[in-house]
Amino acid sequence: MELFKPEFGLAFWMFISFLCLFGILAKWAWPFIIKSMEERADLIDKGVAYAQEAKSNLDNAKAEADKLIAEAHAQQADILREATKMRNELIEKARSDAADEAKKVSEAAQVSLEQSRKEAEKQLRAEVGDLALQIAEKVIRRNIASDDAQKALVDQYLSEVETKN
Amino acid sequence: MKKAITAIIAVAIIALMALGYADAAHHSAHQGEASEVNPQEIIFDHLGDAYGWEVPFNHSKRIPLPVIVRAQDDKWHVFMSSHLEHGEQYDGFQIAKGGDYNNKVVQVLPDGSQYRPIDLSITKNVAGIIIAALLVLLMVFKVRNWYKKNGLKAPRRFTAALELVVDFVYTDTIRPIMGKEAPKYAPYLLTAFFFILTMNLLGLIVIFPGGANLTGNLAVTAVLALLTFLVTNFTGTKHYWKEIFWPEVPKALKLPVPLMQIIELFGIFTKPIALMIRLFANMMGGHMVVIVFMLLIFIFGSMFNTVVGGVMTPISVFLSLFMLLLDVLVSFIQAYVFTILSTMFISMAHVHEHHDEAPAGDAD
Repeated sequence: MELFKPEFGLAFWMFISFLCLFGILAKWAWPFIIKSMEERADLIDKGVAYAQEAKSNLDNAKAEADKLIAEAHAQQADILREATKMRNELIEKARSDAADEAKKVSEAAQVSLEQSRKEAEKQLRAEVGDLALQIAEKVIRRNIASDDAQKALVDQYLSEVETKN
Repeated sequence: MKKAITAIIAVAIIALMALGYADAAHHSAHQGEASEVNPQEIIFDHLGDAYGWEVPFNHSKRIPLPVIVRAQDDKWHVFMSSHLEHGEQYDGFQIAKGGDYNNKVVQVLPDGSQYRPIDLSITKNVAGIIIAALLVLLMVFKVRNWYKKNGLKAPRRFTAALELVVDFVYTDTIRPIMGKEAPKYAPYLLTAFFFILTMNLLGLIVIFPGGANLTGNLAVTAVLALLTFLVTNFTGTKHYWKEIFWPEVPKALKLPVPLMQIIELFGIFTKPIALMIRLFANMMGGHMVVIVFMLLIFIFGSMFNTVVGGVMTPISVFLSLFMLLLDVLVSFIQAYVFTILSTMFISMAHVHEHHDEAPAGDAD
Protein backbone atom coordinates (compact mmCIF):
# COMPACT_ATOMS: atom_id res chain seq x y z
CA MET A 1 0.00 0.00 0.00
CA GLU A 2 2.02 2.85 -1.34
CA LEU A 3 -0.51 5.35 -0.06
CA PHE A 4 0.31 4.65 3.57
CA LYS A 5 4.07 5.02 3.24
CA PRO A 6 4.93 8.71 3.47
CA GLU A 7 7.35 9.62 0.71
CA PHE A 8 10.39 11.52 1.94
CA GLY A 9 10.68 13.71 -1.14
CA LEU A 10 7.07 14.81 -0.90
CA ALA A 11 7.35 15.56 2.81
CA PHE A 12 10.55 17.50 2.14
CA TRP A 13 8.97 19.69 -0.53
CA MET A 14 5.81 20.10 1.51
CA PHE A 15 7.90 21.30 4.44
CA ILE A 16 9.86 23.74 2.27
CA SER A 17 6.71 25.03 0.54
CA PHE A 18 4.88 25.52 3.78
CA LEU A 19 7.77 27.33 5.40
CA CYS A 20 8.21 29.63 2.40
CA LEU A 21 4.50 30.35 2.27
CA PHE A 22 4.36 30.90 6.00
CA GLY A 23 7.45 33.13 5.94
CA ILE A 24 6.12 35.35 3.21
CA LEU A 25 2.58 35.58 4.53
CA ALA A 26 3.59 36.01 8.16
CA LYS A 27 5.95 38.84 7.28
CA TRP A 28 3.99 40.78 4.71
CA ALA A 29 0.38 39.72 4.67
CA TRP A 30 -1.28 38.31 7.79
CA PRO A 31 -0.33 40.92 10.41
CA PHE A 32 -1.40 43.68 8.08
CA ILE A 33 -4.69 41.97 7.20
CA ILE A 34 -5.47 41.22 10.84
CA LYS A 35 -4.60 44.75 11.89
CA SER A 36 -6.75 46.24 9.13
CA MET A 37 -9.66 43.94 9.93
CA GLU A 38 -9.54 44.81 13.61
CA GLU A 39 -9.23 48.48 12.85
CA ARG A 40 -12.22 48.27 10.60
CA ALA A 41 -14.21 46.35 13.21
CA ASP A 42 -13.37 49.11 15.70
CA LEU A 43 -14.34 51.74 13.18
CA ILE A 44 -17.66 50.06 12.54
CA ASP A 45 -18.33 49.67 16.26
CA LYS A 46 -17.54 53.32 16.79
CA GLY A 47 -19.73 54.27 13.87
CA VAL A 48 -22.63 52.29 15.29
CA ALA A 49 -22.18 53.85 18.73
CA TYR A 50 -21.96 57.28 17.14
CA ALA A 51 -25.09 56.68 15.09
CA GLN A 52 -26.99 55.49 18.15
CA GLU A 53 -25.88 58.54 20.09
CA ALA A 54 -26.82 60.80 17.23
CA LYS A 55 -30.20 59.15 17.00
CA SER A 56 -30.89 59.57 20.68
CA ASN A 57 -29.73 63.20 20.44
CA LEU A 58 -32.02 63.72 17.51
CA ASP A 59 -34.91 62.16 19.40
CA ASN A 60 -34.22 64.44 22.35
CA ALA A 61 -34.03 67.46 20.10
CA LYS A 62 -37.32 66.53 18.52
CA ALA A 63 -38.99 66.16 21.90
CA GLU A 64 -37.56 69.50 22.96
CA ALA A 65 -38.75 71.17 19.80
CA ASP A 66 -42.19 69.68 20.29
CA LYS A 67 -42.24 71.01 23.83
CA LEU A 68 -41.20 74.46 22.65
CA ILE A 69 -43.85 74.47 19.97
CA ALA A 70 -46.50 73.43 22.46
CA GLU A 71 -45.40 76.21 24.80
CA ALA A 72 -45.51 78.72 22.00
CA HIS A 73 -48.99 77.56 21.09
CA ALA A 74 -50.15 78.00 24.65
CA GLN A 75 -48.63 81.45 24.80
CA GLN A 76 -50.20 82.39 21.53
CA ALA A 77 -53.60 81.28 22.77
CA ASP A 78 -53.13 83.28 25.95
CA ILE A 79 -52.15 86.37 24.05
CA LEU A 80 -55.08 86.01 21.71
CA ARG A 81 -57.49 85.61 24.57
CA GLU A 82 -56.03 88.65 26.30
CA ALA A 83 -56.28 90.67 23.13
CA THR A 84 -59.92 89.72 22.61
CA LYS A 85 -60.72 90.69 26.15
CA MET A 86 -58.94 93.98 25.78
CA ARG A 87 -60.67 94.76 22.52
CA ASN A 88 -64.06 94.01 23.98
CA GLU A 89 -63.30 96.20 26.94
CA LEU A 90 -62.16 99.01 24.68
CA ILE A 91 -65.24 98.79 22.53
CA GLU A 92 -67.44 98.71 25.59
CA LYS A 93 -65.72 101.71 27.04
CA ALA A 94 -65.88 103.64 23.80
CA ARG A 95 -69.54 102.87 23.50
CA SER A 96 -70.36 104.03 27.02
CA ASP A 97 -68.21 107.15 26.57
CA ALA A 98 -70.00 107.95 23.36
CA ALA A 99 -73.37 107.46 25.01
CA ASP A 100 -72.39 109.78 27.87
CA GLU A 101 -71.19 112.41 25.47
CA ALA A 102 -74.34 112.18 23.39
CA LYS A 103 -76.45 112.56 26.48
CA LYS A 104 -74.48 115.61 27.54
CA VAL A 105 -74.73 117.15 24.10
CA SER A 106 -78.48 116.60 23.88
CA GLU A 107 -78.98 117.99 27.34
CA ALA A 108 -77.00 121.09 26.45
CA ALA A 109 -79.01 121.42 23.26
CA GLN A 110 -82.27 121.21 25.19
CA VAL A 111 -81.10 123.83 27.62
CA SER A 112 -80.11 126.22 24.86
CA LEU A 113 -83.35 125.48 22.99
CA GLU A 114 -85.35 126.28 26.07
CA GLN A 115 -83.41 129.44 26.57
CA SER A 116 -83.84 130.61 23.00
CA ARG A 117 -87.53 129.80 23.13
CA LYS A 118 -87.91 131.82 26.26
CA GLU A 119 -85.99 134.68 24.72
CA ALA A 120 -88.10 134.54 21.58
CA GLU A 121 -91.21 134.51 23.68
CA LYS A 122 -89.97 137.51 25.61
CA GLN A 123 -89.12 139.33 22.41
CA LEU A 124 -92.44 138.45 20.83
CA ARG A 125 -94.29 139.66 23.86
CA ALA A 126 -92.40 142.92 23.83
CA GLU A 127 -93.06 143.42 20.16
CA VAL A 128 -96.73 142.53 20.39
CA GLY A 129 -97.01 145.02 23.23
CA ASP A 130 -95.27 147.65 21.16
CA LEU A 131 -97.59 147.01 18.21
CA ALA A 132 -100.66 147.07 20.35
CA LEU A 133 -99.48 150.33 21.81
CA GLN A 134 -98.88 151.81 18.32
CA ILE A 135 -102.27 150.63 17.05
CA ALA A 136 -104.01 152.02 20.03
CA GLU A 137 -102.21 155.32 19.65
CA LYS A 138 -103.25 155.58 16.00
CA VAL A 139 -106.86 154.62 16.79
CA ILE A 140 -107.08 157.30 19.39
CA ARG A 141 -105.43 159.94 17.12
CA ARG A 142 -107.89 159.61 14.14
CA ASN A 143 -111.28 159.65 15.98
CA ILE A 144 -112.98 156.94 14.36
CA ALA A 145 -116.11 158.16 12.25
CA SER A 146 -117.84 155.18 10.77
CA ASP A 147 -117.91 151.44 11.11
CA ASP A 148 -116.55 151.07 7.65
CA ALA A 149 -113.96 153.56 8.34
CA GLN A 150 -113.16 151.68 11.54
CA LYS A 151 -112.95 148.36 9.75
CA ALA A 152 -110.72 149.80 7.12
CA LEU A 153 -108.62 151.28 9.80
CA VAL A 154 -108.25 147.97 11.57
CA ASP A 155 -107.40 146.31 8.31
CA GLN A 156 -104.93 148.98 7.62
CA TYR A 157 -103.29 148.53 10.96
CA LEU A 158 -103.23 144.82 10.71
CA SER A 159 -101.55 144.85 7.37
CA GLU A 160 -99.22 147.41 8.79
CA VAL A 161 -98.43 144.97 11.57
CA GLU A 162 -98.04 142.20 9.07
CA THR A 163 -95.66 144.10 6.90
CA LYS A 164 -93.77 145.12 9.99
CA ASN A 165 -93.42 141.61 10.98
CA MET B 1 -39.84 27.10 -18.64
CA LYS B 2 -36.13 27.60 -17.92
CA LYS B 3 -36.21 24.76 -15.45
CA ALA B 4 -37.77 22.45 -18.00
CA ILE B 5 -35.06 23.30 -20.54
CA THR B 6 -32.33 22.64 -17.96
CA ALA B 7 -33.87 19.30 -17.06
CA ILE B 8 -34.12 18.26 -20.72
CA ILE B 9 -30.50 19.21 -21.38
CA ALA B 10 -29.36 17.32 -18.27
CA VAL B 11 -31.23 14.20 -19.30
CA ALA B 12 -29.82 14.45 -22.82
CA ILE B 13 -26.27 14.75 -21.53
CA ILE B 14 -26.71 11.76 -19.24
CA ALA B 15 -28.20 9.74 -22.08
CA LEU B 16 -25.24 10.69 -24.26
CA MET B 17 -22.92 9.49 -21.51
CA ALA B 18 -24.55 6.10 -21.52
CA LEU B 19 -24.37 5.96 -25.32
CA GLY B 20 -20.74 7.00 -25.22
CA TYR B 21 -19.93 4.23 -22.82
CA ALA B 22 -21.78 1.65 -24.89
CA ASP B 23 -20.00 2.83 -28.03
CA ALA B 24 -16.59 2.69 -26.39
CA ALA B 25 -17.24 -0.79 -25.02
CA HIS B 26 -18.42 -1.92 -28.44
CA HIS B 27 -15.27 -0.61 -30.11
CA SER B 28 -12.87 -2.11 -27.62
CA ALA B 29 -14.66 -5.42 -27.85
CA HIS B 30 -14.29 -5.36 -31.63
CA GLN B 31 -10.65 -4.48 -31.53
CA GLY B 32 -10.05 -7.26 -29.06
CA GLU B 33 -8.60 -4.93 -26.42
CA ALA B 34 -8.37 -6.30 -22.97
CA SER B 35 -11.38 -4.63 -21.41
CA GLU B 36 -10.54 -6.14 -18.08
CA VAL B 37 -10.75 -3.39 -15.45
CA ASN B 38 -8.60 -3.55 -12.38
CA PRO B 39 -10.36 -1.20 -9.91
CA GLN B 40 -7.65 -1.40 -7.29
CA GLU B 41 -4.96 -0.37 -9.70
CA ILE B 42 -7.04 2.51 -11.03
CA ILE B 43 -7.89 3.76 -7.58
CA PHE B 44 -4.33 3.74 -6.32
CA ASP B 45 -3.09 5.16 -9.57
CA HIS B 46 -5.43 8.10 -9.13
CA LEU B 47 -4.78 8.60 -5.45
CA GLY B 48 -1.04 8.08 -5.64
CA ASP B 49 1.80 10.20 -6.83
CA ALA B 50 3.27 10.22 -10.34
CA TYR B 51 6.31 11.60 -12.12
CA GLY B 52 4.28 13.31 -14.82
CA TRP B 53 0.95 15.06 -14.81
CA GLU B 54 -1.66 13.41 -16.99
CA VAL B 55 -3.67 15.61 -19.36
CA PRO B 56 -7.37 15.09 -20.05
CA PHE B 57 -8.51 12.74 -22.88
CA ASN B 58 -5.05 11.34 -23.36
CA HIS B 59 -3.57 8.26 -21.76
CA SER B 60 -0.07 8.38 -23.16
CA LYS B 61 0.97 12.02 -22.99
CA ARG B 62 1.87 13.54 -19.69
CA ILE B 63 3.15 16.94 -18.66
CA PRO B 64 6.82 16.28 -17.91
CA LEU B 65 8.12 17.25 -14.51
CA PRO B 66 11.72 17.32 -13.27
CA VAL B 67 13.11 14.22 -11.59
CA ILE B 68 15.76 14.96 -8.99
CA VAL B 69 17.50 11.90 -7.56
CA ARG B 70 20.73 11.16 -5.78
CA ALA B 71 22.32 8.05 -7.17
CA GLN B 72 24.17 5.47 -5.16
CA ASP B 73 27.48 7.25 -5.85
CA ASP B 74 26.20 10.45 -4.17
CA LYS B 75 25.80 12.28 -7.48
CA TRP B 76 22.64 14.24 -8.13
CA HIS B 77 20.83 13.58 -11.36
CA VAL B 78 18.25 15.99 -12.75
CA PHE B 79 16.21 15.22 -15.85
CA MET B 80 12.67 15.47 -17.12
CA SER B 81 10.22 12.71 -16.38
CA SER B 82 9.41 12.43 -20.10
CA HIS B 83 12.60 10.37 -20.42
CA LEU B 84 11.15 7.69 -18.20
CA GLU B 85 7.82 7.26 -19.92
CA HIS B 86 6.62 3.80 -20.93
CA GLY B 87 9.24 2.04 -18.83
CA GLU B 88 12.20 3.59 -20.64
CA GLN B 89 15.53 3.73 -18.93
CA TYR B 90 17.47 6.97 -18.71
CA ASP B 91 20.86 7.51 -17.15
CA GLY B 92 20.46 4.22 -15.34
CA PHE B 93 17.13 5.19 -13.86
CA GLN B 94 13.69 3.85 -14.55
CA ILE B 95 10.28 3.70 -12.98
CA ALA B 96 9.86 0.38 -11.20
CA LYS B 97 6.83 -1.73 -11.91
CA GLY B 98 5.73 -3.93 -9.09
CA GLY B 99 7.89 -4.89 -6.17
CA ASP B 100 8.73 -2.73 -3.18
CA TYR B 101 9.22 0.45 -5.20
CA ASN B 102 6.17 0.24 -7.44
CA ASN B 103 5.81 3.42 -9.56
CA LYS B 104 8.93 4.98 -8.03
CA VAL B 105 12.16 5.92 -9.74
CA VAL B 106 14.85 3.35 -9.08
CA GLN B 107 18.45 3.08 -10.16
CA VAL B 108 19.22 -0.13 -11.97
CA LEU B 109 22.57 -1.28 -10.70
CA PRO B 110 24.99 -3.13 -12.96
CA ASP B 111 24.16 -6.41 -11.26
CA GLY B 112 20.50 -5.92 -12.21
CA SER B 113 19.24 -5.18 -8.72
CA GLN B 114 17.20 -2.06 -7.99
CA TYR B 115 18.42 0.74 -5.75
CA ARG B 116 15.99 3.34 -4.49
CA PRO B 117 17.82 6.66 -4.61
CA ILE B 118 17.08 9.67 -2.42
CA ASP B 119 14.24 11.13 -4.42
CA LEU B 120 13.54 14.87 -4.31
CA SER B 121 11.72 14.91 -7.63
CA ILE B 122 9.14 17.51 -8.41
CA THR B 123 6.41 14.92 -8.73
CA LYS B 124 2.79 15.58 -9.55
CA ASN B 125 2.03 16.06 -5.85
CA VAL B 126 4.99 18.38 -5.30
CA ALA B 127 3.94 20.43 -8.30
CA GLY B 128 0.42 20.46 -6.89
CA ILE B 129 1.72 21.71 -3.55
CA ILE B 130 3.67 24.48 -5.25
CA ILE B 131 0.61 25.49 -7.29
CA ALA B 132 -1.51 25.49 -4.15
CA ALA B 133 1.08 27.59 -2.32
CA LEU B 134 1.18 30.09 -5.17
CA LEU B 135 -2.61 30.27 -5.22
CA VAL B 136 -2.72 30.91 -1.49
CA LEU B 137 -0.06 33.57 -1.92
CA LEU B 138 -2.09 35.19 -4.66
CA MET B 139 -5.34 35.11 -2.71
CA VAL B 140 -3.93 36.40 0.55
CA PHE B 141 -2.02 39.17 -1.17
CA LYS B 142 -5.23 40.12 -2.96
CA VAL B 143 -6.84 40.81 0.40
CA ARG B 144 -3.73 42.56 1.72
CA ASN B 145 -3.43 44.74 -1.37
CA TRP B 146 -7.06 45.71 -1.08
CA TYR B 147 -6.42 47.06 2.40
CA LYS B 148 -3.20 48.71 1.27
CA LYS B 149 -4.97 50.45 -1.57
CA ASN B 150 -8.44 51.13 -0.21
CA GLY B 151 -7.83 51.62 3.46
CA LEU B 152 -10.69 50.35 5.54
CA LYS B 153 -13.30 50.26 2.80
CA ALA B 154 -15.19 46.98 2.57
CA PRO B 155 -13.82 44.74 -0.20
CA ARG B 156 -15.97 43.51 -3.07
CA ARG B 157 -16.52 40.27 -4.93
CA PHE B 158 -13.86 37.56 -4.54
CA THR B 159 -11.78 39.62 -2.15
CA ALA B 160 -14.84 40.01 0.05
CA ALA B 161 -15.38 36.24 0.05
CA LEU B 162 -11.75 35.68 1.03
CA GLU B 163 -11.99 38.28 3.72
CA LEU B 164 -15.12 36.63 5.03
CA VAL B 165 -13.22 33.36 5.41
CA VAL B 166 -10.27 35.10 7.08
CA ASP B 167 -12.71 36.81 9.41
CA PHE B 168 -14.50 33.54 10.12
CA VAL B 169 -11.27 31.74 10.97
CA TYR B 170 -9.56 34.56 12.83
CA THR B 171 -12.30 36.51 14.58
CA ASP B 172 -14.67 33.64 15.26
CA THR B 173 -12.22 30.87 15.97
CA ILE B 174 -8.65 31.83 16.74
CA ARG B 175 -9.31 34.95 18.77
CA PRO B 176 -11.96 33.49 21.11
CA ILE B 177 -9.70 30.52 21.85
CA MET B 178 -6.34 32.23 22.12
CA GLY B 179 -7.38 35.63 23.41
CA LYS B 180 -4.46 38.02 23.73
CA GLU B 181 -2.03 35.63 22.05
CA ALA B 182 -4.12 35.38 18.90
CA PRO B 183 -2.16 37.84 16.73
CA LYS B 184 1.07 35.97 17.49
CA TYR B 185 -0.12 32.55 16.31
CA ALA B 186 -2.73 33.64 13.78
CA PRO B 187 -0.24 33.77 10.86
CA TYR B 188 0.66 30.11 11.29
CA LEU B 189 -2.94 29.00 11.79
CA LEU B 190 -4.32 31.08 8.94
CA THR B 191 -1.58 29.91 6.61
CA ALA B 192 -2.30 26.32 7.55
CA PHE B 193 -6.03 26.82 7.03
CA PHE B 194 -5.74 28.42 3.62
CA PHE B 195 -3.05 26.02 2.46
CA ILE B 196 -5.10 22.99 3.48
CA LEU B 197 -8.31 24.42 2.04
CA THR B 198 -6.65 25.21 -1.27
CA MET B 199 -5.03 21.80 -1.48
CA ASN B 200 -8.32 20.10 -0.62
CA LEU B 201 -10.24 22.01 -3.27
CA LEU B 202 -7.51 21.63 -5.89
CA GLY B 203 -7.67 17.89 -5.32
CA LEU B 204 -11.33 17.92 -6.33
CA ILE B 205 -10.69 19.52 -9.72
CA VAL B 206 -10.11 16.54 -11.96
CA ILE B 207 -7.82 18.10 -14.55
CA PHE B 208 -4.56 20.02 -14.41
CA PRO B 209 -3.81 22.15 -12.30
CA GLY B 210 -5.99 20.12 -9.96
CA GLY B 211 -6.36 16.43 -9.55
CA ALA B 212 -3.37 15.82 -7.33
CA ASN B 213 -4.52 14.04 -4.20
CA LEU B 214 -2.52 16.27 -1.87
CA THR B 215 -4.18 16.25 1.53
CA GLY B 216 -5.13 12.63 0.96
CA ASN B 217 -1.45 11.82 1.14
CA LEU B 218 0.08 10.85 4.43
CA ALA B 219 3.35 12.72 3.79
CA VAL B 220 1.57 16.03 3.37
CA THR B 221 -0.66 15.69 6.42
CA ALA B 222 2.29 14.40 8.42
CA VAL B 223 4.25 17.58 7.71
CA LEU B 224 1.26 19.73 8.69
CA ALA B 225 0.77 17.77 11.89
CA LEU B 226 4.50 17.93 12.61
CA LEU B 227 4.42 21.71 12.31
CA THR B 228 1.56 21.95 14.77
CA PHE B 229 3.43 19.56 17.04
CA LEU B 230 6.56 21.73 16.89
CA VAL B 231 4.68 24.97 17.49
CA THR B 232 2.75 23.42 20.38
CA ASN B 233 5.74 22.01 22.19
CA PHE B 234 8.31 24.69 21.48
CA THR B 235 6.06 27.48 22.69
CA GLY B 236 4.65 25.53 25.63
CA THR B 237 4.90 27.26 28.98
CA LYS B 238 6.63 25.91 32.06
CA HIS B 239 3.26 25.05 33.48
CA TYR B 240 2.41 22.94 30.44
CA TRP B 241 5.49 20.79 31.00
CA LYS B 242 4.82 20.67 34.70
CA GLU B 243 1.36 19.28 34.04
CA ILE B 244 2.91 16.58 31.92
CA PHE B 245 5.69 15.53 34.27
CA TRP B 246 4.09 16.34 37.60
CA PRO B 247 0.32 16.59 37.11
CA GLU B 248 -1.97 17.44 40.01
CA VAL B 249 -3.20 13.95 40.77
CA PRO B 250 -2.86 11.66 43.78
CA LYS B 251 0.78 10.77 44.34
CA ALA B 252 0.17 7.06 43.96
CA LEU B 253 -0.58 7.61 40.31
CA LYS B 254 2.79 9.19 39.59
CA LEU B 255 5.37 8.01 42.03
CA PRO B 256 6.60 4.48 42.02
CA VAL B 257 5.15 3.84 38.60
CA PRO B 258 5.00 7.04 36.48
CA LEU B 259 1.58 6.17 35.13
CA MET B 260 0.30 9.69 34.55
CA GLN B 261 3.55 10.83 33.02
CA ILE B 262 3.40 8.03 30.49
CA ILE B 263 -0.19 8.86 29.61
CA GLU B 264 0.58 12.56 29.28
CA LEU B 265 3.68 11.96 27.18
CA PHE B 266 1.67 9.66 24.99
CA GLY B 267 -0.91 12.43 24.67
CA ILE B 268 1.68 14.84 23.27
CA PHE B 269 2.10 12.55 20.30
CA THR B 270 -1.44 11.31 19.83
CA LYS B 271 -2.75 14.83 19.28
CA PRO B 272 -0.77 15.59 16.10
CA ILE B 273 -1.12 12.00 14.92
CA ALA B 274 -4.89 12.35 15.21
CA LEU B 275 -4.65 15.56 13.19
CA MET B 276 -2.61 13.80 10.54
CA ILE B 277 -4.86 10.76 10.26
CA ARG B 278 -8.09 12.74 10.33
CA LEU B 279 -7.23 14.99 7.43
CA PHE B 280 -5.64 12.17 5.45
CA ALA B 281 -8.48 9.70 5.92
CA ASN B 282 -11.23 12.20 5.20
CA MET B 283 -9.74 13.50 2.01
CA MET B 284 -8.51 10.16 0.73
CA GLY B 285 -11.84 8.55 1.57
CA GLY B 286 -13.73 11.19 -0.35
CA HIS B 287 -11.54 10.79 -3.42
CA MET B 288 -11.76 7.03 -3.23
CA VAL B 289 -15.54 7.01 -3.05
CA VAL B 290 -15.80 9.30 -6.06
CA ILE B 291 -13.54 7.04 -8.10
CA VAL B 292 -15.32 3.90 -6.93
CA PHE B 293 -18.68 5.32 -7.99
CA MET B 294 -17.20 6.12 -11.38
CA LEU B 295 -15.68 2.65 -11.66
CA LEU B 296 -19.05 1.05 -10.94
CA ILE B 297 -19.82 1.63 -14.62
CA PHE B 298 -16.96 -0.54 -15.74
CA ILE B 299 -17.34 -3.10 -12.99
CA PHE B 300 -20.99 -3.61 -13.87
CA GLY B 301 -20.14 -3.54 -17.55
CA SER B 302 -17.62 -6.31 -17.22
CA MET B 303 -19.65 -8.31 -14.74
CA PHE B 304 -22.85 -8.34 -16.78
CA ASN B 305 -22.91 -6.68 -20.17
CA THR B 306 -22.61 -3.39 -21.97
CA VAL B 307 -26.26 -2.48 -21.45
CA VAL B 308 -25.99 -2.73 -17.68
CA GLY B 309 -22.86 -0.57 -17.84
CA GLY B 310 -24.72 1.96 -19.94
CA VAL B 311 -27.64 2.08 -17.54
CA MET B 312 -25.22 2.39 -14.67
CA THR B 313 -23.58 5.46 -16.23
CA PRO B 314 -26.12 8.14 -15.23
CA ILE B 315 -26.45 6.65 -11.76
CA SER B 316 -22.69 6.62 -11.29
CA VAL B 317 -22.27 10.12 -12.62
CA PHE B 318 -24.99 11.36 -10.32
CA LEU B 319 -23.50 9.62 -7.29
CA SER B 320 -20.00 10.89 -8.11
CA LEU B 321 -21.29 14.39 -8.55
CA PHE B 322 -23.05 14.16 -5.24
CA MET B 323 -19.89 12.90 -3.56
CA LEU B 324 -17.81 15.64 -5.15
CA LEU B 325 -20.18 18.28 -3.87
CA LEU B 326 -20.08 16.67 -0.46
CA ASP B 327 -16.29 16.73 -0.70
CA VAL B 328 -16.37 20.48 -1.26
CA LEU B 329 -18.07 20.75 2.11
CA VAL B 330 -15.69 18.21 3.64
CA SER B 331 -12.74 20.18 2.24
CA PHE B 332 -13.81 23.24 4.12
CA ILE B 333 -14.76 21.36 7.27
CA GLN B 334 -11.50 19.44 7.44
CA ALA B 335 -9.39 22.53 6.86
CA TYR B 336 -11.39 24.22 9.59
CA VAL B 337 -11.15 21.26 11.95
CA PHE B 338 -7.40 21.08 11.47
CA THR B 339 -7.11 24.78 12.23
CA ILE B 340 -9.39 24.80 15.25
CA LEU B 341 -7.71 21.73 16.76
CA SER B 342 -4.26 23.21 16.16
CA THR B 343 -5.46 26.38 17.81
CA MET B 344 -6.71 24.47 20.81
CA PHE B 345 -3.55 22.37 21.13
CA ILE B 346 -1.37 25.46 20.98
CA SER B 347 -3.52 27.40 23.42
CA MET B 348 -3.61 24.39 25.76
CA ALA B 349 0.18 24.46 25.83
CA HIS B 350 0.00 28.05 27.03
CA VAL B 351 -1.64 27.34 30.37
CA HIS B 352 -0.58 29.40 33.30
CA GLU B 353 -0.96 28.65 36.97
CA HIS B 354 -4.68 28.74 37.53
CA HIS B 355 -4.70 29.43 41.27
CA ASP B 356 -6.24 32.81 40.58
CA GLU B 357 -9.41 31.12 39.40
CA ALA B 358 -10.08 29.25 42.63
CA PRO B 359 -11.19 32.03 45.01
CA ALA B 360 -13.44 33.71 42.47
CA GLY B 361 -15.64 30.64 42.11
CA ASP B 362 -17.70 32.20 39.33
CA ALA B 363 -15.96 30.33 36.55
CA ASP B 364 -18.58 27.65 36.63
